[in-house]
Amino acid sequence: MGPRITLILVFSSIALATVAAVIAGTWLVAQGMPGASDETTSFLIAYGGGTAGVLLALIAVCWAYLDIAVVRPLLALGEGIDTVLHANPEHEIEVDEHQLGGLPRAVNDLIRHLAIAKKNVDDNVRRATQTIEDEKNKLSTILRELHEGVIVCNTSHRILLYNKRSLEILHVSGTIGLDRSLFDLMSRQPILHAIERLNNYLASGRYAGGSDRASVPFVGATIDSRFMLEGRLGLIIDADGAPAGYVLSFQDDTDELAALGLRDRLLRESTEGLRAPVANLRAAAEILSSAPELSSLEQTEFKKVLLKESKHLCDRLETLASQYRAIVTSHWPTSDLFSANLFQTIRGRVKEQRGIDVVIVGIPQWLHGDSYSLVELLNRLVLRLRAHTGVPTFDLEAVAGDKHVYVDIIWHGAPIAASDLHGWLEDTVEEMLGGLTLRDVLDRHKTDAWSLTGVDGRARLRIPLPTAQHMTVVQEQRNLPPRPEFYDFDLLRRTPDLGELGQRSLRSLNFVVFDTETTGLAPSAGDEVISLAGIRVVNGRILTGESFDRLVDPGRSIPPESIRFHGITDDDVKDKPPIQIVLPQFRRFVGDAVLVAHNAAFDLKFLKMREAESGTSFDMPVLDTLLLSAFLHDQAQKHSLDAVAQRFGIPIQGRHRALGDSLITAGVFLKMIELLEARGVTTLDQAIQAGQSVMKKRAWKPQF
Amino acid sequence: MKSILVVEDEPNIVLSLQFLMKKAGFEVRVANDGEEALALVQDRAPDLILLDVMIPKRDGFDVCQTIRANPDWKDVYIILLTAKGREVDREKGIALGANDYVTKPFSTRDLTEKVKQILSGG
Repeated sequence: MGPRITLILVFSSIALATVAAVIAGTWLVAQGMPGASDETTSFLIAYGGGTAGVLLALIAVCWAYLDIAVVRPLLALGEGIDTVLHANPEHEIEVDEHQLGGLPRAVNDLIRHLAIAKKNVDDNVRRATQTIEDEKNKLSTILRELHEGVIVCNTSHRILLYNKRSLEILHVSGTIGLDRSLFDLMSRQPILHAIERLNNYLASGRYAGGSDRASVPFVGATIDSRFMLEGRLGLIIDADGAPAGYVLSFQDDTDELAALGLRDRLLRESTEGLRAPVANLRAAAEILSSAPELSSLEQTEFKKVLLKESKHLCDRLETLASQYRAIVTSHWPTSDLFSANLFQTIRGRVKEQRGIDVVIVGIPQWLHGDSYSLVELLNRLVLRLRAHTGVPTFDLEAVAGDKHVYVDIIWHGAPIAASDLHGWLEDTVEEMLGGLTLRDVLDRHKTDAWSLTGVDGRARLRIPLPTAQHMTVVQEQRNLPPRPEFYDFDLLRRTPDLGELGQRSLRSLNFVVFDTETTGLAPSAGDEVISLAGIRVVNGRILTGESFDRLVDPGRSIPPESIRFHGITDDDVKDKPPIQIVLPQFRRFVGDAVLVAHNAAFDLKFLKMREAESGTSFDMPVLDTLLLSAFLHDQAQKHSLDAVAQRFGIPIQGRHRALGDSLITAGVFLKMIELLEARGVTTLDQAIQAGQSVMKKRAWKPQF
Repeated sequence: MKSILVVEDEPNIVLSLQFLMKKAGFEVRVANDGEEALALVQDRAPDLILLDVMIPKRDGFDVCQTIRANPDWKDVYIILLTAKGREVDREKGIALGANDYVTKPFSTRDLTEKVKQILSGG
């Protein structure tokens, strides 16, 4: 029942009671005056009626006043509070013409305070949530980046948390379901044993809490026993000092333990296993030398023993040596390294240390080793060479061999005597390698160093290193069809008199070998450059450090069918500069060098199309390795970059990237110079003519 | 008579090598370290050198490199004898001018055959 109804009922009851009292009073008075005149009676009735009417009116006014001034405002206040609580915390309650005094204002103040308090709470919660989120991100990053696998379990061995690395180590494909038992993945006993040890430790009362570690090492295995695991198990202790779960951190130790086992076996075999044959040898030799009474027949028997046992010892030793070599260096942390990165570090260091200039040359190679010790080794060798030869600049080159990548330090002058070099290798690297010598670093990489004479009075200090183990070769790209061959007399046949330049030998010239990646094969039909790269070749050396490599916004979408060639997408070129900006940069990079490209007419056409609007001009002489290849090997069918690189033994990597292709082309071009010289083509003029003679012979038609 | 220089510091193997080579009909000189070896070569260049890598003073690689640096001695055939059996050691030996590389222990018969073949062919 609403308060207003209640009020109406209360006031109605008062009104009824008042009317009843007046009527009853009047009636009693009338009864007390028998024989009163009609007038008196009428007066009495009129008086009673009037009184009742006046009282009713008064009651009505009182009700109305209470209803309007108190009850309705109170109700309004109530509704307002409802709105604030359930709908709009910002709502300002307004109450018209009330007699509630300061109540509405007090309520509004209260609401405001409430709102502020609530906002503070919300802010704190948000901040706290954000902090937790940040912490969570940090934790998951740490877990992700850890080389160890990490798994967190509760006391019933259910998995609560794990990192991706643990999946790899446990060789689980997909995911580990949370709440799964750890013992579905790992052998049970080592874990239980470790926990038991820790529980004993806790029970002993020696655990101090806080930073005290409650963890022990464990060696376990995957559930299928195929992989050995080694790591630590640590208890998670709750506030009451009781274990709430545990954290496992572990790594795959299969190889390491296998190597340890092998080493043990080798040690045992090389001591025990050699005793018997040596005993046989010794006995036979002693008898032969100290018993002159032996018949010649007997002597022959003992000699047979000597022969047989020494042969047996040789074989045994050979086996041991090869096994030993396999394990002796297997424990060093090694990884695949890109020679260019290694060389850059050394270049920076020796420049800073002694102002020695190092030029990085050749086609960078992937090799395998320990970056830190290799940098120390090369760094020290360069310093030694500088002091020994007095030469101010050195080239660093990685040369691909059949079994190794050769890291060569190259200088003008004579090679280093083996005795000097061997002396240098005894230098120790004290700072961080625990006093290892340079020789140790070489041994660690199963290699050695020597110095040899090169061409043009250049000597080399050579260090063979293992080739990379996991070279990233995208197989699909190997099988892509080559670009169609382009010939354009207008572009390549123009032979302005080059004057003195044309007379210069190919070896002495500066070249920029370049390549483009494009949206398609038709520059005249709207195809554009999306990547432009070049590499400088000076004095028969590829200057790896002097390269130009830019992505270009083509101002159009890149067709998907071209993406499979170059892998460059619309997103990649989104914020890149347009060709009008890149082309002048490239022009400055080229300077007065001679341009070289494979299938040059194609790439050049793209550049030429943009000459006018970029305010550049590419009028320098251009050599085409495709034409030169056809000149040198006119019997060969294929002159694609892949085919030519293979013919010249240039390792193919980074193919179908503008810079990668430029490097391969540069490698091919340097090999070609040697062959061209053998064919009597030594000057620029002659090389251009060689290309043109091919163009005339080969069937050609402009295709764009 | 073809002449052979044996460069070795281990008397026991020198004994065998000297015996074998003499028996095969060659003139044999022996050096016990790198300096002595170079002095003997300087004195009179042999047709073939059996050169151990691990010898005192100047090691076998060094001797090999020094001999190759002199054009007068380009025809001297050098066989390196070594206990280093890695592929890269062989490569180093060949790079520094050795003609052949034999890992210890070796079969004396095979070595004798090899030397005979080289010196009769040359």
